Amino acid sequence: MADEDETKEYRWESGYEKTWEAIKEDDDGLLESNVADLVARAKRKRAALKATGAIQLGMMRHLFVVVDASACMFLQDLKPTRFLCVLKLLEVFVHEFFDLNPISQLGILTTKMKRSEQITVLAGNQKKHIEALQQLKDLSCEGEPSLQNSLERAMNGLKNMPAHSSREILVLFGSLTTCDPGDIQKTIKALKDNNIRVSIIGLAAEVRICREIAKKTGGTYNVLIDDHHLKELILSQVQPPAVAGSLEASLVKMGFPGGTPSVNDGTSDSSADHAPAYCLCHIDSETSSLMGPNGYNCPQCGSRYCELPVECKQCGLTLVSAPHLARSYHHLFPIKPFMERAQVPDTTHCFACAKLFLEAETNVYECENCHQIVCLDCDLFIRETLHTCPGCASDPVTAQMKTN
Amino acid sequence: MLELKRALDAKGHCLLEMPSGTGKTTTLLSLIVAYMKAHPLDLTKLVYCSRTVPEIEKVMEELRKLMNYYEKEMGMEQNILGLALSSRKNLCIHPSVSKEREGKVVDGRCYSLTASFVRARHAADDATPICEFYEGFDAHGKEFPLPPGVYNLDDLKEYGQMKRWCPYFLARHTITHANIVVYSYHYLLDPKIAEVVSKEISKTSVVVFDEAHNIDNVCIDSMSVKITKRLLDKCSNSITILETTISNMKENDSKRLEKEYKRLVEGLRDATIARETDMALVNPVLPSEILEEAVPGTIRTAEHFVAFLKRVVEYIKTRLRVQHVVQESPAGFLRDIHTKVCIDRKPLRFTAERLASLIRTLEISDLTDFSPLVTVSHFATLVSTYTKGFTIIIEPFEDRAPTVSNPILYFSCLDSSIAIKPVFNRFQTVVITSGTLSPLDMYPKILDFHPVIMTSFTMTLARPCILPMIVSKGNDQVAMSSRYETREDTAVIRNYGNLLVEVAAAVPDGIVCFFTSYLYLETIVSSWYDQGIIDQLQRHKLLFIETQDAAETSLALINYIKACDNGRGAVLLSVARGKVSEGIDFDHHLGRAVLMFGIPYVYTQSRILRARLEYLRDQFQIRENDFLTFDAMRHAAQCLGRCMRGKTDYGIMVLADKRFSRADKRSKLPKWIQEHLKDTNCNLSTEECVQICKRWLRQMAQPFSREDQLGISLLTLEQLQSEEMQKKIQQRAQGVSF
Repeated sequence: MADEDETKEYRWESGYEKTWEAIKEDDDGLLESNVADLVARAKRKRAALKATGAIQLGMMRHLFVVVDASACMFLQDLKPTRFLCVLKLLEVFVHEFFDLNPISQLGILTTKMKRSEQITVLAGNQKKHIEALQQLKDLSCEGEPSLQNSLERAMNGLKNMPAHSSREILVLFGSLTTCDPGDIQKTIKALKDNNIRVSIIGLAAEVRICREIAKKTGGTYNVLIDDHHLKELILSQVQPPAVAGSLEASLVKMGFPGGTPSVNDGTSDSSADHAPAYCLCHIDSETSSLMGPNGYNCPQCGSRYCELPVECKQCGLTLVSAPHLARSYHHLFPIKPFMERAQVPDTTHCFACAKLFLEAETNVYECENCHQIVCLDCDLFIRETLHTCPGCASDPVTAQMKTN
Repeated sequence: MLELKRALDAKGHCLLEMPSGTGKTTTLLSLIVAYMKAHPLDLTKLVYCSRTVPEIEKVMEELRKLMNYYEKEMGMEQNILGLALSSRKNLCIHPSVSKEREGKVVDGRCYSLTASFVRARHAADDATPICEFYEGFDAHGKEFPLPPGVYNLDDLKEYGQMKRWCPYFLARHTITHANIVVYSYHYLLDPKIAEVVSKEISKTSVVVFDEAHNIDNVCIDSMSVKITKRLLDKCSNSITILETTISNMKENDSKRLEKEYKRLVEGLRDATIARETDMALVNPVLPSEILEEAVPGTIRTAEHFVAFLKRVVEYIKTRLRVQHVVQESPAGFLRDIHTKVCIDRKPLRFTAERLASLIRTLEISDLTDFSPLVTVSHFATLVSTYTKGFTIIIEPFEDRAPTVSNPILYFSCLDSSIAIKPVFNRFQTVVITSGTLSPLDMYPKILDFHPVIMTSFTMTLARPCILPMIVSKGNDQVAMSSRYETREDTAVIRNYGNLLVEVAAAVPDGIVCFFTSYLYLETIVSSWYDQGIIDQLQRHKLLFIETQDAAETSLALINYIKACDNGRGAVLLSVARGKVSEGIDFDHHLGRAVLMFGIPYVYTQSRILRARLEYLRDQFQIRENDFLTFDAMRHAAQCLGRCMRGKTDYGIMVLADKRFSRADKRSKLPKWIQEHLKDTNCNLSTEECVQICKRWLRQMAQPFSREDQLGISLLTLEQLQSEEMQKKIQQRAQGVSF
């Protein structure tokens, strides 16, 4: 930083990293990565938090991701650089986001040189976002970021979104300073008035204004420890947040396109649906070619799409398929958290993965319904990925009850 | 608490070092109040001395909370009266007087409205203005004591408004029967004020000096006098006024002067009785036997006394007309004044008292003009009373500007124990406490008392929330030090600059830097400017500089806070021993890091300091170096402690000087800092320091909830009562006492 040409830093010029210091001995003299411990604890905490009480979740989300592209993003404390690491993780995030929130929309902004730039507009097409993110990799990071400018810009984009959707901003902030044209407190107030929630992930250290913004707008503020932790933090934003205040309940018009010949569900058996047509997602690109009969047709205007979910370019209808909605459904009914209990001698193995419990493992987890015992890894897996308890599912009585 | 209880039981004095933000005030208050309740005969009063008005207010808040808790738990009104006392300036509710800004003016105007002769004149002639609030208080207030409760300054004012009583005199009057009194050090230490305000506090009191790391300097300041040429010129003016008033009075009302003369023959004791409002002019600590004596004949009549004063002033004037530095003992001064102008020691001793009496007799109500003369009279009294522990230094010019003639006479107290001695002797328990008192054994020596308990407490923390580091070299391996020899070295200055820039890039929000002196700060900043370091710094944070001008500094501070709040981040360059280092807290984001550039030694060439060092060596067997290091380290610790104001707070402390890593310096840091200063962090280069900072800041930024602290630094009732914890507490208690 003190050098004039700081753009390229050789490996031996960068700071020492005492990688061995991350590993600490616990009380018994056993080596245990405290980072992993922290992550696991946070996971359980979050899972426990999520499952408490029936909360209304914002299923339809409009989210702006603001990426800091200031000079400090070239630092190499995340490999290869902060910026590239963040972009890489964002790709994963975009993918996961649309996977879990099929009826939501996302936009990307960057901030550098005291200004803010729009990379993609709010849209439901994940491909476009991922492409844009890949192009961003060549962007040079310079100058200072401006929180206020980027928040204002995102706010302008979100302001006109329907009231039943949840409006969110996610800021990935590497800098420790922000260069603002005016009073940021006013912006915070405006954000609050517009019911926009701002979550911030800091890449270096706790900055007070970020904490304040997050606190006032009802978002979260976290600072990473290392790249694994950053991934955790980014991916934790995938889960839809609880709705702040009471939103009006309203009906949303959606299209369920049929059209693939293999699925003969009776709604789309007219021959026009199967006629070869240009796919609207790729019509702009040079390599677009006439598609075969496979694809999804908008039930309103008949445009052809090769992937769902998508917002119809012609008529603006949100196109989803039934499994997408079903996937969002588990947010509404999360499984109850498993009880943590001391290991008793008669349970020798995990019910889910059949792993034998070791002496060292002191805690196991029990499902409240079926009283099966699982290990920590399975507990997390069930909670994060499976969303259903194998014990309950395999028990004919409880499974029966659930379907009823 | 355990230690404090022991001290109370033993009726002895104690010295406690507790880190700030750990509930020092609450602990002290709750234990002492409980003790007062349990043993109402042994302990009647708590006198809590703090430094500034905001601190006094904070103490009152704590006390109020405690009382509310008592009420809730015991379910009845508590019979305890807590009271804050401050100067007239802060308490006056008189419509026009309270508008005045300067404390001295308020005092003077108040005096002119409430002095006994003014009121007597008012009785005869309605046109003489008096203060209606004081009249109200005098008529009714004395019979009805303040109802029990907790009164801070605003409450007192409100109560005064309601009853139309003067809150200041109400508070002064109430001190005698209040259970808890909170006021500034000076009311107890400064003999001029203590005589009036704190005289009637009973022996069975506990006195607490909070933030007392500078107590020896306060003691010394309260006993020292500084006389300049301008002051003497003003004195001559006031003497002329005195003369004319006396001659006027002689024509009109010679009886009064006669009466005064008689009174003086009878002795001073009676003269001072029941004159509580005439407090502005009281004598410094006179040994009581002097008070018993009658005023010597030579200065009994007013004219003689004025002539006497004139001689004294003229004599000092001639003394100031020197071309070289003179240092002499009070005894030498007395001999000289005797041979030159034939003034004995005895009348000199009575100067202050005699002047006070004269001013009262002459019914001069505007006291502000006479303060120079009062200073000189104090000097005369002090110089003739004490032959030991003081020195007189006359400097014809300042060290910085040797060509400009600006003669100053310093009458400097060398022995801090003189002022505090009456306090230690009078009260059964004196508690001296602060966040930074290390090394503890120095205080009993320089204050000359024997504490029964001397303890340094550490913090029990759920996470390592301070990160002290000693950075000894720059990236180019050049040692960093503010040593005199390397001060001007550009390599050192550049390394300091680089350190600051890199830390500024890694640390969020506010950073406070302390330099050893204003001079050093200025030279460093100007060479940083030449080296382009300032530009680099401003890319990360805004830069603010403390100056000697108070208004400028407070403006800089306001903007500094603004910059931190807005997320722009800021760096404040200030000076150890300056205003910033003493009174201002940089909690949470306002001070995420403190950098100490160099060791803040005092200016060792100063003659006053040299004289004091010599005295300390001869009288208390304290080596010069020991005292200097002690003084430097307590200021360094004080600066470092600025960033740490509670358990949820966290901050980096960087000591940027090679010399800090030596054992004699390190061991003088407070225990709670030493505890976190690992050996591995003691000899770092700039980049190592920045790496450690970055990692630590990430750790600290992780969510920190109440549950995490539970069982470590916060205990529930069950946990506290559990056997294991009891054992731990026992162990700790034994571990810390020595």
